[in-house]
Amino acid sequence: MKRMRWLALGTAALVAATLAGCSSSGSGGDSSAGKDLTVWVMGDSSAHFDALVKPFEEKSGIDVKTVAIPWDNVDQKFTTAVASGSGPDVIQIGLSKLRTYADSGALLTLDDAAISDYPNLAASNFVDGVAGDATAIGGKIVSMPWVSDTRVLFYRSDILKTAGIDAPPATWDELRADAKTLTARGDGSYGYYVPQWDSALPVIMTWDQGGEIVDSKGKIDFDTPAFDKAVDLYTGLYADKSVPTNSDFDQTQGFITGTTPMLVSGPYLAAAIAQAAPELEGKWNVTTVPAADKDTSLLAGSNLGVWGSTKNKAGALQLLDYLSQPDVQVKWYEADGQLPTVKKALEDEKLAADPMVAVYTKQLASSRLLPLVPNWDGETGKALLDSLNSIVLTGANRDDALKTLFTTTSGTSAK
Amino acid sequence: MNPDGARRHGPPRIAGHEAMKTRLVPYTFVAPAMLLLIAFGILPIAVALLVSFTDMNLAGLGDWSRIQFVGGDNYATLFADPAFWQALGNTALFAVIGVPSVIVLSLVIALALNRSQGRFFRALRSFYFVPAITAIVAVALVWGYLYNTQFGLFNYLLSVVGLPPVPWLSDPTVVKFSVVLVAVWRGLGLNVIIFLAALQGVPKEYLEAAAIDGASGVRRTVSIVLPLLRFAIFFVTITTVIAWLQFFDEPFVLTKGGPLGASTSIALFLYQKGFSSSQFGYASAGSVVLVAIIAIITVVQLRLRRSDVDY
Repeated sequence: MKRMRWLALGTAALVAATLAGCSSSGSGGDSSAGKDLTVWVMGDSSAHFDALVKPFEEKSGIDVKTVAIPWDNVDQKFTTAVASGSGPDVIQIGLSKLRTYADSGALLTLDDAAISDYPNLAASNFVDGVAGDATAIGGKIVSMPWVSDTRVLFYRSDILKTAGIDAPPATWDELRADAKTLTARGDGSYGYYVPQWDSALPVIMTWDQGGEIVDSKGKIDFDTPAFDKAVDLYTGLYADKSVPTNSDFDQTQGFITGTTPMLVSGPYLAAAIAQAAPELEGKWNVTTVPAADKDTSLLAGSNLGVWGSTKNKAGALQLLDYLSQPDVQVKWYEADGQLPTVKKALEDEKLAADPMVAVYTKQLASSRLLPLVPNWDGETGKALLDSLNSIVLTGANRDDALKTLFTTTSGTSAK
Repeated sequence: MNPDGARRHGPPRIAGHEAMKTRLVPYTFVAPAMLLLIAFGILPIAVALLVSFTDMNLAGLGDWSRIQFVGGDNYATLFADPAFWQALGNTALFAVIGVPSVIVLSLVIALALNRSQGRFFRALRSFYFVPAITAIVAVALVWGYLYNTQFGLFNYLLSVVGLPPVPWLSDPTVVKFSVVLVAVWRGLGLNVIIFLAALQGVPKEYLEAAAIDGASGVRRTVSIVLPLLRFAIFFVTITTVIAWLQFFDEPFVLTKGGPLGASTSIALFLYQKGFSSSQFGYASAGSVVLVAIIAIITVVQLRLRRSDVDY
């Protein structure tokens, strides 16, 4: 509050001006020796990644320096790196940010010629939803799949059973009905949880109604019957009073206490539940998302890109190749709990042994990326959430709210 | 600062370069401060002004040839953007509630603390200063838990006396007051210290003379202390107004500006546009508008002060 934020903004531009001026002659990355690699991984700790690349360092003689970037700082860090021209050699890219990063022109193009010497990087090795052209921006591939993430339905089997529900809901209609039943348990109980910050959920609902949010010309289009049905579902859950309305609701606590015994979330929630409430083991489970027409879910995760001005392109690609080895991907799952993107790794028996991972793998097979618009989090997804939440939270007129959404998002290119 | 003045005080006829030297002396003294001000104050504003007429984004940052001048487009979009007006309205509301609260409360606390120099009162001084030096992230974490609808302390206390829970950070109206409360609590410490320092400058003789004349404690405070604190109050008012117009930390860490932009201040709006959406041109246009607003309000305050009587 005391600091002058607007000055910070101006200063950033100034720094950009000064540093961009010398970037042509400046260094690419911190790799002064030419044999070192700097890798930016997203998260709070680099310990797991350091351990993962240790064998690679020993074999290749390349010193890999890992820098952990907290998710909240990712945008700022990347902006500064683009402005100064001095980024890492390899960078982890959340798929929702891929388009922005690619548009900045800071990433190396990884076309067939560039990766021909690295057999593990061939598109056919990866899950179809993120492989090759699926994550190409404007026809150019600038990243390689790294970890995947999907959304599945979490449910408290014990609470559902007590309420007379024997199987988790298989369709969204069933889910809405079950949520109503569960809400009727009593004061302070709900049936389902809608995270107010989750812009993917209404999209998943639209896909499940057999719809698309991108038209045939590759532009965002929410004005479709399937989306309308998804809005009915989304607002219906609120109208039934089956979901909590407070924005600071804690989904992990809500699930553990049983306040919200069902929700759609990612594998990270499973880890959080297992850690916070090991005694719940066996009282909850996951299954594929409810269907209407389809049971499509969200495919999220991260890719890895190579910084365009890296001085160690061969080393960077070598590292990417190493990280795409099925056994390394399995090792990463064991260390960090993140799902592989390499098909062979997903088939590994260590993963298949876990029934929950079997559900994730099954769901991954019918999962899709959010449209690669220039700024999903800050623009398209935000507009989507703002309009839906204004209807359910502040009682805004549905038609007006949707009209605003249509006009603000139509024409946004998703290619 | 006045070269003519310098010459008038010097010897009547001196050699040319001597006069030059004398004239340069004051400038060498102010130069370091000036340079810093230009480099970190004026220049960034000038750059922001320039950028506000372009469509600069992340792509343009990496490759300058992709930046185009768009004239006043950013300003036209800005003034037609409901989110901008919402943020501006929120900021006005924050300032209207926050500024008087901070000034009055910190003045009252300072006056109360000044009544004694005892050990207990000295401990209280540090107590009031603690919020000002606590990291905002820690503050947000603790207040986030206090405010939490599910397991927060405030709602627990309400439930104890049989009141329904309040959605402190979820209701678009309540959230505005929730973030202001945290900011007021945080903002008190520094101003209390400033007022306490100013209170040391109130001559004891005046107060004693008034006491001998039979003036009550309230009377002495209102007629002697407060008028002598005029400059401190003026200073605190200006800095507090500017701080509240740049209100950022509390909504950023507590609510990220939500729900539905209900707690988004103008500075947070600029941050979201600039650093989350990478629309540097657009954000710069907004920051230029904010600078203009702050400048106008500050000039008005200075003008009002000019007509003031000095003791």
